[in-house]
Amino acid sequence: MASIHNSADSGFNAPSRPLLQVRDLEVTFRVEDGLARAVDGVSFDLEAGEVLGIVGESGSGKSVTALSILRLIPDPPGRISQGRILLDGVDLLSLTYREMRQIRGNEIAMIFQEPMTALNPVFNIGMQVREAVLTHAKVSKAEATDRAVQMLEKVGIPSARRRLHDYPHQFSGGMRQRVMIAMALVCHPRILVADEPTTALDVTTQSQILDLMLELKQRESNASIILITHDLGVVAETCNRAVVMYGGKIQEVGTVQQIFNNAKHPYTEGLLTSLPAVAGPRDERLYTIPGNVPSIMDMPSGCRFCTRCEHVTDRCRHEEPALHEIGDGQFVRCHLLEPESKPDSG
Amino acid sequence: MGYRTSRSSSQVTSSTPKTDSDSHAGDHRSLSPLQLRAKRFRRLKRGYYSFVLLAGFYGLSFFLPLLMNHRAILVQYDGELYFPALASCLHDTFGLGQERVYLANTFDQISRSGQPVFGEANYRELQRTFAEEGSGNFVIMPLIPYGPNESFLDLPGAPPHPPSHLHWMGTDDRARDVMVRLTYGFRISITFALLVTVVAYTIGIVVGAVLGYFGRWVDIVGQRFVEIWGNIPFLYTVIILASILGPSFGLLTAILAAFSWVSITYYLRGEFYREKSKDYVAAAVATGEGHLTIILRHILPNALTPIITFAPFAIVSLIISLVSLDFLGYGLPAPTPSWGELLKQAKVNLRVWHLVVFPLGAMFITLQLIVFIGEAVREAFDPKVQSRLR
Repeated sequence: MASIHNSADSGFNAPSRPLLQVRDLEVTFRVEDGLARAVDGVSFDLEAGEVLGIVGESGSGKSVTALSILRLIPDPPGRISQGRILLDGVDLLSLTYREMRQIRGNEIAMIFQEPMTALNPVFNIGMQVREAVLTHAKVSKAEATDRAVQMLEKVGIPSARRRLHDYPHQFSGGMRQRVMIAMALVCHPRILVADEPTTALDVTTQSQILDLMLELKQRESNASIILITHDLGVVAETCNRAVVMYGGKIQEVGTVQQIFNNAKHPYTEGLLTSLPAVAGPRDERLYTIPGNVPSIMDMPSGCRFCTRCEHVTDRCRHEEPALHEIGDGQFVRCHLLEPESKPDSG
Repeated sequence: MGYRTSRSSSQVTSSTPKTDSDSHAGDHRSLSPLQLRAKRFRRLKRGYYSFVLLAGFYGLSFFLPLLMNHRAILVQYDGELYFPALASCLHDTFGLGQERVYLANTFDQISRSGQPVFGEANYRELQRTFAEEGSGNFVIMPLIPYGPNESFLDLPGAPPHPPSHLHWMGTDDRARDVMVRLTYGFRISITFALLVTVVAYTIGIVVGAVLGYFGRWVDIVGQRFVEIWGNIPFLYTVIILASILGPSFGLLTAILAAFSWVSITYYLRGEFYREKSKDYVAAAVATGEGHLTIILRHILPNALTPIITFAPFAIVSLIISLVSLDFLGYGLPAPTPSWGELLKQAKVNLRVWHLVVFPLGAMFITLQLIVFIGEAVREAFDPKVQSRLR
């Protein structure tokens, strides 16, 4: 399996070793009909200070990838069956429960998709943010409360000290997501995993939350962010690099410029074509990729995308393409783009 | 029906300050879900008043020796003060101080026939003697000057004696005052049910939480043990243990607690399974919190609703269990005032109406009050009402 290293000119001063390295990650779920491979041989790097987008449709394995990083896969039925997740070269998958607790929240924090359910309904938000502080910092309760208030102010909760005693149900969705961000960032983690943080919010709130995350990242912590989303627009606005996933496998990796201006993989192209163009003709029907994502239990034996690809060949149906570099840190998994055989530029 | 109407009408009148509590500026202190439910419970008049009434009577029953007792509240004799009822109240009810029984010779008590009285002082007699003497000594008796285990064999006729102005609910087949025994029985029944509930809930919550939270083989193995335990025949165990160890309040509490925690685990286990899959638990894990914190602080408060709702009904069934054990004769040891024992007497003396009506009435009213409380608790914890308010 090809491992992807960030090239020097992708816009960062890349240190010798990336902050987080995911290698050959494979996550399986035990289902009624057998073993479902939700994530199959995923490898990527995350540099310090980078915002990495993981894009894909439902069922592409992007959320499972995110959850694996914190080892939050519900077991049973799920299991990380293979691979390594290296934080500073230390394999998170080999850590004990106790060691993993030191990582969670402290080194790597997470924001969930549903701000409605990700806060405990029976505690006021002050207690919840304070508890996040107390889990990792040996400080007094008063000090923890102060830090909680500061953090809540930073994420834009008006009159934060007064609202400490309010319960989640008294906040709107956007405000709750802000509280979640405060909880995640209050211990200054180095990596923030955001699993579709804006999906459950309306569009105006979405952009506010994204802006807030980037602003906090720039002003405060310079934490790396892994942003899981199905929204290419979100990727374009926020990310430095993007990983496109389909059927549990990475299909294309590149900088945001590469993905948006020079997408090679037919799937990425399809995704981009299905975006509504602001300047485009209004009476045109929006493009959709034909067909549906095949069930994870009966993925095609060759290329995962062959059932829906417009450029499909016989080879695609039988032989799985490898992820190969097509230049400048852009990687693609497609037979059509392999250097030796280039019958169609796509 | 009346229940529903009272609830909805009270909600209409007082819903305004609640819904906009969010925007209330002044004393800003939001209500937790539990506080909200307590508030709603207080609005359900029938259940709330039942609770106040029952809690009040139960609280009062701890001072029963001062209200219904054959011992005097206060005796003044030869310039000295004695508090026999207080001493027995402190010792028997609260376990404070020493067992202190004043013998008749403390007060140089002499019976009507001129013989010195032996054993414990007879305070009712003493009160009469002191009044006749007019020597400045006096006795203050409790409101109802009869003890629960006292036999009034000098009443005219054979026991059970019918109600009279002295014994308002008559006496039982051993000429003991029915009202006094019922009242003491009330305290024992409620104490018993509360104790068993607390112990059983503690065990049930711990076991259910562990099974539900850890799941996997812990759950599979644990469940089998719980099932085996739950299938031990309860009544035989009581009979066997009671005949070996001799029945006592402690033993009965232990046995009933040991058998009633099983059903709690099913509720808790299910709730834990459901709650642990929710995002807030994942968020707590992602924050780096440990198992104990997640179980106790995050999941448990969210998992308690069904068993809190269930508790009043559990108490009802425990009171009935104690009554039936007493009725069968495997319950509390003989002289203890108990409802089941009175009901047994009623079964034997079916024609003695006061032995049938009063114990059954007392039991009915008590259980009905607890059921009212249970209904109100259930209503107050009903998530549908809350979702409507959101």
